Amino acid sequence: MVLAVALVGLLALAPLAALALVASKADALAGLRLGSSGLGQLTNSLALVLGVGVVTGLLGTCNGWLTSRCQFPGRRWLRLAQLLPLATPSYLLAGTLIDLGSRSGQRIGGLGWAIGVLSLGTYSYVVLLSSEAFGRSGARQQEVCRSLGVGPWGSFFRVALPLALPAVAAGVALGAMEVINDFGAVQLLGVPTLSAGILERWQGDGDLPGAVALALVTLVLVALLLWSERQGRRHSRRWSGGQEGALPEPWPLRGWRCWLAQLVTLVPPLASLAIPLIWAGFSWEQLSVQAPGDLLALGLRTLALALGATGLTLTAALVLSIGKRLVKTPAIQGLADGAGLGYAIPGTVLALGFLFLGGSWGLAPLLLLVWGYIDRFLAVAKGGLDAALEGLAPSVDEAAQSLGCDWIGLVRRIQLPLLRGPLLVAGLLVFVDTVKELPLTFALRPFDFDTLAVRVYQYASDERLGAALVPALLILILGLLAAVALMPSLDQRPGSSSPCRSGSPPEGF
Amino acid sequence: MALGLITTGASGHAEEVSIGVYSGRHYNTDQKLYQQFTAKTGIQVKLLEAKDDSLIERLRQEGTNTAADVLVLVDAARLERASSLDLLQPARSAALLRSVPLNLRDSKGRWVGLTRRVRVVLVNPALVKAASIRTYGDLANPALKGKLCLRDRKSVYNQSLVASQMILRGDAQAQRWVKAMTANVSQPYFSSDIPLIRALASGQCGVGLVNTYYLARLLNGESGAADRALARKLQVVFPNPAHVNISGAGITRHAKNPQAALKLIEFLASPVGGKGYAEANHEYPLKGYGDDPILKGMGHFKADGLSAEQLGSRNRAAVKLMEANGWL
Repeated sequence: MVLAVALVGLLALAPLAALALVASKADALAGLRLGSSGLGQLTNSLALVLGVGVVTGLLGTCNGWLTSRCQFPGRRWLRLAQLLPLATPSYLLAGTLIDLGSRSGQRIGGLGWAIGVLSLGTYSYVVLLSSEAFGRSGARQQEVCRSLGVGPWGSFFRVALPLALPAVAAGVALGAMEVINDFGAVQLLGVPTLSAGILERWQGDGDLPGAVALALVTLVLVALLLWSERQGRRHSRRWSGGQEGALPEPWPLRGWRCWLAQLVTLVPPLASLAIPLIWAGFSWEQLSVQAPGDLLALGLRTLALALGATGLTLTAALVLSIGKRLVKTPAIQGLADGAGLGYAIPGTVLALGFLFLGGSWGLAPLLLLVWGYIDRFLAVAKGGLDAALEGLAPSVDEAAQSLGCDWIGLVRRIQLPLLRGPLLVAGLLVFVDTVKELPLTFALRPFDFDTLAVRVYQYASDERLGAALVPALLILILGLLAAVALMPSLDQRPGSSSPCRSGSPPEGF
Repeated sequence: MALGLITTGASGHAEEVSIGVYSGRHYNTDQKLYQQFTAKTGIQVKLLEAKDDSLIERLRQEGTNTAADVLVLVDAARLERASSLDLLQPARSAALLRSVPLNLRDSKGRWVGLTRRVRVVLVNPALVKAASIRTYGDLANPALKGKLCLRDRKSVYNQSLVASQMILRGDAQAQRWVKAMTANVSQPYFSSDIPLIRALASGQCGVGLVNTYYLARLLNGESGAADRALARKLQVVFPNPAHVNISGAGITRHAKNPQAALKLIEFLASPVGGKGYAEANHEYPLKGYGDDPILKGMGHFKADGLSAEQLGSRNRAAVKLMEANGWL
């Protein structure tokens, strides 16, 4: 186990180490010297992280609760729909918004719009992780609440939310890292952030070591932020005992409550779908006919890449999360926590780390690209798994061990079955993220190996949005297909196939 | 014996030669041109399009392992950076000397320009008199306060323009110009050209800086009739002299097939290939005004004659000057 964690962790940290090597060639203080516009970039980044964190935390938790623990017409479809915004690349959303605005004489840009667009693009993380947590944990506690006459609000705030808090925090943290590494959308919306500063130092000033140093300083800030969040929660841990009875009946919503729930869960996915579609409606003249063969090839290539990357990322994340739980040495803990940090670096800069590795070892571009995907999305997969394991009482492991289970048995018979839901969610997130991944694919792919996202960006960056729309819709469709395929098994309870519970059919699909 | 068969077999099939192209241009029309080249010469073209700076870094890290034979980049400063990092090798070609004007190629033959793009002043005649603007310097006129729309300084086209003014007018005067001009800007800055053109046409501002091909696309109806109508309201002013930037290409230092690479570059720089490269994106060819009726309709310009090499060498200083003088 230790060996496996060390191997995965070191592979994940190798590109960061390569970057550190580059940065070491910079002046001593290059990472701290922000330049004359640096302070503004720093405040913008912080404001974005804060704004997006608040919006995604509230909206995500709310929609996660509504779609997993309440009952209202259309709930199952709306639950699926929560994934739509995640599958819409935020640079495309920003681009179409700006274009729509400029047609009607509006100038869309600035911090407010950036918070809106990025929140829309990341709140799904919180929905998926929290709804999985709401559905998994605390069923018995919630039942007790009910029998004691605590209403829906009380049982939400006093029981369900505290139990799901690690998942909510994991989702918000993922969103925050994505906000830090985003470049496309904020640049289009005219909000200069740290990642813009990093790229300007590299591409404008030609100071690559300085740029990398700044990226690493940003990374340390993010790591501190995540660490302090975890420390803050350390004293308010709540555990559930793992295997529980079937969930109690979801809360039925009626009247205006029902309308409100439908509205809140409908508007965000609708916006992320409608903005590009309204745009398409206005500009159907621009929609160019594209060779179906070409689109099919792009789609299949994207699908194959995403499936491969998802499988490998999940394996790597499992090794790290379980290793972290089983092996309590500080080195392993640090390695497991540090391995997901690649997500907080702008993709373009992370790609450089891989170019340094690949260049010196002569690795095939495709191998490098898949390694890059795993490294980048390890955080996405690990976030949910860690949160799920965090909510699982250590006594579960202890009981198994006291009954003579070795660690292999513990993992196979206890932890893996309990992690089934979080694994499915993690797989879904990684799949959708890989399908729309841009900077790594752009920089590392082999010849004649475009993906859907690459094609979208090429057209959009050339200000030819019309041609970008069809491949963008294909990205959406791939994401939705994955969601449709996984949602039924998500709605089931872990271990619901065991005979003692076959009498209570899982609610949902 | 067997070896002999293999080698003759390989050399007998000229169509099996292939070259790798790293390109910073993202125009799907380019691919048609590469296909034309393959049809003509039998040389296969493998293409990788990515951001210019990433391509430079990739080439640098791949070193002798690279599969790229040709590097195509947009903007003079990037070509200059690639050659200063020793990523390109000099090419000797009489055809290139003939087809590429002196100021649009590297003095050591490491890269040549392929197309030209001109940064022009675009005026909404309802708000600003076109005759009041003759040079880029006139954009600093305080009378234009609140009427000027600009893209942010990340636009390489703007960086290159400022570099040109620093060379032509000296750093001190260029600095005063940037400072006075940015004071005229109607905030916020734009991040792309087409929304800027729409803002001009709808009267949100009276004057702006754009590349000709964006306007040409709108005039050509490529984004619909409404945009064409908007674009027709505007008037192009070629400042005298006008700032010209290029896209260009060179043979990579560690090209596996430099002869075939040179053939591609010669083809792209030739009147036939260059016409295809430039016209599809409404760019100007290396010489003259091309056959694009829309570009022809915009009129003639007098280029400032600066070499792409000069522009590239001042790019970094230009970015610093813009940052220090309020160009967001």
